[in-house]
Amino acid sequence: MMSAVSMPIGEATIGPFFPGAYVDAGANDLTRWQGRSAQGQLIDIRGRVTEDEGVPLQNVVLEIWQADANGIYRHPADPRAKHADADFFGWGRAATDADGAFHFRTIMPGRTHLPNGTLRAPHINVVVLASGLMRQLQTVMFFEGNAANATDAVLACVHPAAFQEALIAKADGPRKYRFDIRLCGADETPFFED
Amino acid sequence: MSIQVDLVKGAKADTYTIPPIVDGTQPTRIVEGYPQTARRTPSRPLLRRPLTLSELTGPLDLSGRLAATSADVAGQSARRALGQLIVLRLAVRDEDGSPIAGTMVEMWQANAAGRYAHPNDSDHAPLDPHFQGNARVQTDASGNIEIRTIKPGAYPVPGPDRWWRPPHVHFSVWGKVWLSRVVTQMFFPGDPLNEQDLILNAVVDAEARARLVARSVPTQAAPGDALVFEHTVVVRGKRATPTEHA
Repeated sequence: MMSAVSMPIGEATIGPFFPGAYVDAGANDLTRWQGRSAQGQLIDIRGRVTEDEGVPLQNVVLEIWQADANGIYRHPADPRAKHADADFFGWGRAATDADGAFHFRTIMPGRTHLPNGTLRAPHINVVVLASGLMRQLQTVMFFEGNAANATDAVLACVHPAAFQEALIAKADGPRKYRFDIRLCGADETPFFED
Repeated sequence: MSIQVDLVKGAKADTYTIPPIVDGTQPTRIVEGYPQTARRTPSRPLLRRPLTLSELTGPLDLSGRLAATSADVAGQSARRALGQLIVLRLAVRDEDGSPIAGTMVEMWQANAAGRYAHPNDSDHAPLDPHFQGNARVQTDASGNIEIRTIKPGAYPVPGPDRWWRPPHVHFSVWGKVWLSRVVTQMFFPGDPLNEQDLILNAVVDAEARARLVARSVPTQAAPGDALVFEHTVVVRGKRATPTEHA
């Protein structure tokens, strides 16, 4: 069963013609799943994707993956998976408009568990796919005002610490957050190895 | 870093890992002659992070979020697209060669004249009213899909350094975990434009480049009305042997 080991295929850019039909209506709304509402606090996340010199980028595809309100992933690798919210899938997709703007509607994720017993700060994994990006870009969104940010194992990898601010979505009204993604430039968003 | 994953229903839990990428097997991020790459690629090095549940879990059945379509992109009879009919047999595997069953595959491509049915494509080549050029199909229990389409045309990339894209098909594929996500392009064997393509040749390693080129099935072995091509997409992630438990 483990005989044939092969190498992962090479990535390529999505190009400028990623079909609009692939950003299904509602794919950016994680709060509903099969007609039912997820548990937890609803939040709106808005932001813009820009390239070098702050130029907004259209037709950038963002996909997100997050735990449910109790910090549980709908996946067999999560030891707590059987307690996952049945009405929350955890994955969404959005594309940027002509102003580079995107919008997700989701629930505030809970704290996920690490094998050593520690907890992650609430966070959402983000992958960026765009024309001109030969490979996907991986980043993570955290939330302003959460004390757990100070001890998160992934956020702690961002040096110098001042760069961590770019990964923290800013409160922008009740249950609203702002998270801009700057692909390139002096103030660029930190990205992680994929 | 490894984690317990019961990957196959009924099978005993396996350890699933994401091995590091081997140099040269992925495209360089900045490509000379493709100016957008320099304006969009981060200038600072990517950060290494510990892999946690967040990276080693992921969406497993996307059909409830992304609607599947017909696997027939070419259409039938009076509504058949213009061009050479082809069948693409795609196999989705993990790094152990195990099939990824029930995963979503998205494909998109230009029409036979090299034009995308997309508002961003302002090329002068004609649109084909019977060809949208995209499909979304879930793999079967063997991790395979078969798509009936037409062979895409080559097209010029606008700009000062005008160059031509060889015929190619885009695929967007999910594996078992977040870091298995891959968007790739499939090329056709023997096309002279392959050797000049900036995107294909951004993969430095020749064997890795060869993995981006489909295999032509001999016509004697494919007696239908279409030329048949086979292609394998290996997504990241492999089972470790139990002794590798961290």
